[in-house]
Amino acid sequence: MVQAMKPKNMVRALGKKRAGGVIVLLVFMLFFYGPLLYMLPLAFANKYEYPALVPTSYGFQWWKYVLDQPTVVEAIVNSFLFAICSTVLALIICIPAAYALARFRFRGRKFIMLLFLIGNAFPKIGMYTSIGIIYYKIGLMGTFLGVLLIHMLGTMMQMIWLPAGAFRSVPRHQEEAARDAGAGPVRTFFHVTLPIAWPGIAVAAMYAFIGSLGESVGTLMVGLPKYRTMMTEMYGVILDFPATAGAVFALIIIIPNIVLLFLMRNYIGGDTLAKGFKMG
Amino acid sequence: MVKNKSKWKSAMLIVGFLAPALIVALGIVIYPIINTIIKSFQDPSTGAFTLENYSYLFTNKLARAHIWYTIWVTVLTVVLAIFFSYLLALYLRFSNSRIASVIRSLYLLPRFVPVLVAVYALKMVLSDSGLINRLSMLLPESWALHNFKPGLLYNAKGIILANLWFNIPFATMIISAALSGISSSIVESAQDVGAGKIRIFFKMILPLSISDVMIAATFVFMSNVSSFTTPYLIGANHPMMLGVYLRKQFSSRKYELAAAVSCLIFLFSSISAIVYIYTNLKEKAWERD
Repeated sequence: MVQAMKPKNMVRALGKKRAGGVIVLLVFMLFFYGPLLYMLPLAFANKYEYPALVPTSYGFQWWKYVLDQPTVVEAIVNSFLFAICSTVLALIICIPAAYALARFRFRGRKFIMLLFLIGNAFPKIGMYTSIGIIYYKIGLMGTFLGVLLIHMLGTMMQMIWLPAGAFRSVPRHQEEAARDAGAGPVRTFFHVTLPIAWPGIAVAAMYAFIGSLGESVGTLMVGLPKYRTMMTEMYGVILDFPATAGAVFALIIIIPNIVLLFLMRNYIGGDTLAKGFKMG
Repeated sequence: MVKNKSKWKSAMLIVGFLAPALIVALGIVIYPIINTIIKSFQDPSTGAFTLENYSYLFTNKLARAHIWYTIWVTVLTVVLAIFFSYLLALYLRFSNSRIASVIRSLYLLPRFVPVLVAVYALKMVLSDSGLINRLSMLLPESWALHNFKPGLLYNAKGIILANLWFNIPFATMIISAALSGISSSIVESAQDVGAGKIRIFFKMILPLSISDVMIAATFVFMSNVSSFTTPYLIGANHPMMLGVYLRKQFSSRKYELAAAVSCLIFLFSSISAIVYIYTNLKEKAWERD
């Protein structure tokens, strides 16, 4: 038994290649999933005192504590409301633009694509402060629309670039064939173009949704005190609450993202997502 | 005449399609940026044109320390993230093992975990009374590693570790997409004529994927040079990342100085964006030939 535990013998038993793979997997899991999985026992701990490695008693004490906070339920509702509204708004605004950028060649096309990149190059904090000043002037401070626009800011580039990549990959001759068969442009779009480009658009929508759920600093700066979201609450939790309450919060926040990723698993590949960062 | 009419029609169509997105982008991206640039050249009390805000940033000892600190933390993040991502992407591309397919299905998740949540989770593991420390408490007391304090928080190491946590999955995604475009058959045919692995990598795989590596590096640079949440929660008070410094200036109502910091970060990002644009244009030129 002891003999088998020696690294050299383990390598021999596994084979050199597989041992390498096992090490890669181990490091990968520890670094990326270790911290996330550690949230599980923490969230269900009633008692977790130093220096115990695992909680000494489990239960839902901190779930009750968190959900009893007067603002938490409101924050959860707000988070989803903002995520749904900003995703729908972004789709309505960005999909036509993405289609135009993908299908028409015109002067300034590249420049417009770059315009959306600039939003990512400028520091977000600087942008929020500047937008905050403008909001004060035009009365958008602390309003629903104001927060909604802030949520769109972070995802606009992907919402244009990803669908644009998806539209580009629709074979032009298929659209032309539909037009030749007598279908109008609207019908062609909904029956030919959209079904093929759908995965890219769906992924972009998911990006926008998850991005909105995860937005914290901007909402904090233009939405408070009227609009609290899970993320703005999390800021407070990290700073003032006990560690176990933070873990409960972290889980509440991650679960929707994991569910979404699972539902979209057939669409999400590195290849699809990578298109959102390449200007065509 | 008919042709002109259809041309005019499609121009109107383009304008109509683009207008909503452009109006929103002008309102929440371009206009705030222009405002910030103007403000950064204004005198706080008179509003007159001045270079004072910038000269403060470059002459004040603290501000200069923050600038250098930001640059080296960001550059180190980019180098390490690209290095590990490239290795991981190579492994994922060229291994057919079950382990590789498990990692392939798992590596994207961190990209979709909110920054705040991930920073919190990392903090719980890395802090001096966190999981690593608690694990070390299980070791016999006579061992040197007993009660090991990682000392990874509130300094550059913590920021870089957290940055890697977010950016390795992202960069791996971009590089993997590039590597998947390299067909196995050309690699195999190179092997058939006796090219070694290292030679194939430097003569074939690297040149074919370098433009995507640059794209990944640009985005990693841009998102980290301006980062706020991570350094705010697990970084040090001195020296601090420019994002945190910016926020601090803003809270103490030094709006003009805050604007100058914004523009400085923007300048750094723009330099990396130029690399991106150049790579993109070069790639297009190559496709044309």
